[in-house]
Amino acid sequence: MSEFKTLSETVIKGDINKAVAETQKAIDAGSDVQAIIDDGLIAAMDEVGESFSKGLIFVPQMLRSAKTMQECMKVLEPLIQEGDVASKGKVLIGTVKGDLHDIGKNLVSMMMEGAGFMVTDLGVDVTPEKFVQKAQEVEPDIVAMSALLSTTMPAMPQTIEALQKAGIRNKVKVMIGGAPVTSKYAQEIKADSYAADAGSAVVEAKKLLGTS
Amino acid sequence: MQPTQVPLLSKLKSYWELPRDFFSVKEQVMKPMAIPTFQPRLKVLSREQGLAIHTAALEILEKTGFKMEHPGALELLADAGCEVSNGDWVKLPSYLVEESLKSAPSQIALYDQQGNETMPLVNGNHFYGTGSDATFTLDLETGQRRRTVLNDAANFAKLVDGLENISFAMSMANPEDAPIEDIYGYAFAEMVKNTNKPLVFIADSGRDIAKIYEIACLVAGGEEELQKKPFLLNYSEAISPLRFPQNVMERLIFCAEKRIPVCFPSGSNAGGGAPVTLAGAMALGIAENLGGLVVHQLVGKGSPFLFGPNVSVLDMKSTVVSYGCPEWSLTQAALADMRDEIYGLPIWAYAGASDAKVMDAQAGAEAMFSIITAMLSRSNLIHDVGFLEYGSTSSLEMVTLANELVAMSRFFIEGIPVNEETLALEAIERVASGGPGSIFLMDDHTFEHFMQAQFLPKLLDRSRYDSWVEAGAMDLYKRCNIEAKRILSEHQVEPKPDEVLKDIDRILEGR
Repeated sequence: MSEFKTLSETVIKGDINKAVAETQKAIDAGSDVQAIIDDGLIAAMDEVGESFSKGLIFVPQMLRSAKTMQECMKVLEPLIQEGDVASKGKVLIGTVKGDLHDIGKNLVSMMMEGAGFMVTDLGVDVTPEKFVQKAQEVEPDIVAMSALLSTTMPAMPQTIEALQKAGIRNKVKVMIGGAPVTSKYAQEIKADSYAADAGSAVVEAKKLLGTS
Repeated sequence: MQPTQVPLLSKLKSYWELPRDFFSVKEQVMKPMAIPTFQPRLKVLSREQGLAIHTAALEILEKTGFKMEHPGALELLADAGCEVSNGDWVKLPSYLVEESLKSAPSQIALYDQQGNETMPLVNGNHFYGTGSDATFTLDLETGQRRRTVLNDAANFAKLVDGLENISFAMSMANPEDAPIEDIYGYAFAEMVKNTNKPLVFIADSGRDIAKIYEIACLVAGGEEELQKKPFLLNYSEAISPLRFPQNVMERLIFCAEKRIPVCFPSGSNAGGGAPVTLAGAMALGIAENLGGLVVHQLVGKGSPFLFGPNVSVLDMKSTVVSYGCPEWSLTQAALADMRDEIYGLPIWAYAGASDAKVMDAQAGAEAMFSIITAMLSRSNLIHDVGFLEYGSTSSLEMVTLANELVAMSRFFIEGIPVNEETLALEAIERVASGGPGSIFLMDDHTFEHFMQAQFLPKLLDRSRYDSWVEAGAMDLYKRCNIEAKRILSEHQVEPKPDEVLKDIDRILEGR
């Protein structure tokens, strides 16, 4: 862990230039790519996530750290072989059909990425069919749906039904969120989990997949 | 003292016919003019600042542009002279904005459901009301936070009907037990059935707004009557930044065509859908508002449009849109100054809400902050009274409290009348030089004036400690709870005729 302490610190501080330089340094020194990611980047983001949950840092600072990690990942990408890097899990996320709101969803995406998940973001107004099609392509561990309007919430059970019909419902965990969504509603429509905000979403995702 | 009869000079034959006391000084001195009472008004923005924000809004519309997802509106804008690129990205020239600001009416008269003009939205007239779709509510019996149901919309409407300082109703509920495709129609019907005050309502698209309109025409006694004396105002919003969805535009266009008053306040929240700095958030929100106004006036020139965005903040820790922050009060006060300097249209605002999860001191502090500043700014239509939990939970107790906070604020802004009566020199002379036992409390002057001279609180408690304990040592939340229950059980709402009620159900059920 101490091998990448400086790298972690630059990620925590959100200093993109220094972080990229440190990443390059680690590569030049011959360090293991997986180790750089796990012990340098994800470890830093775990600390950021914890500080954030405790209310010690603000969202823009947390997002800056996440962006810093993304920039470091760009440097590492050419060195990553297909299937080499173990991520915490794959998440497919979108705002449901008829709904165009995305701030919350974008926050969840960024926090999930920062926590080490691989996120595929479908954007807004995503039909059940689109969710299914992409899920079949990407094979996510988690399908996450967001809605801000109560009138668009019905698209959530519709999407779950579509996953069922496609025979892949039991291959994924479904997580839902958004202002009018409640944990009671999640139980009603037989989603696997509900999260009230971006921070909780990461916690719930880790719970669902049994990771830490 | 009788005024001296002054004869018509033209009828006099000679100077000597004038009454002897004609030139006497006593009768001929003009009475001193009454000293006008200054009424405190808050100014937060200079003309120069306002113009800079307005210019920035115009620049956003002209240089950045916006996404118009309604094909009909897109076509209208293109025909009117807008540049359209990438299918639906519109750039709007300033002259269209100027024209629509000119054609929009500078006053909007809202009526109650019985045809009385109760809310003339013009100049400094200010009216407070509740808010729309709260997912949760504080249960009146248990105090628990639970999902809202149709009965809550009914109760909030009835409470508004019985509170003298709350002028209009909104649903205060996202009812769990209403069929979701028609949720807003059902909420609207509950309001119609439980109050006669003006209503601000929301809808989903052209489809359900037409149903709500049908109900409104029924209540008013016809389309023409409703247009002449509208008792409703629609609340629709674009999505910041700069996105105008189809279903939203359907509602805006419907209102423009039918001349239903409408507001179009996008949530251009600083750090959320808008830049984190308030001037930029205002510029963006105003740009979105103006974009809506242009389409609105192109569809229905002269149709009523209540101006202004919702410029709050996205909290940088919790990512909620704050309902208790000073920023929202500040930006809407700034908008009020811009109304007076530039726009000349009545404006939309908010007050009486909080981010607190319960009705505690935070709730009181935040609610009062926004209530008094909105009034000091003379915002015209002020909604969201009674919200807790950043708009997610509605509270009957909060609405009840707000009724009194509005009255307290009103007392303040009415100022201090200075005249012979209020200077009370004679009373002072009487009491000061009167014998022992001579007190103001006993004086006629006090008896005659005390009810107008002082603010008389009902819920804010000033009793002596022992009486307070004896009465049950209740805090404000408890007292408001009791008062809300009392109003709900005792207040009589003038009912709508049975045929109207039956027809409302028929329309809702699609028969």
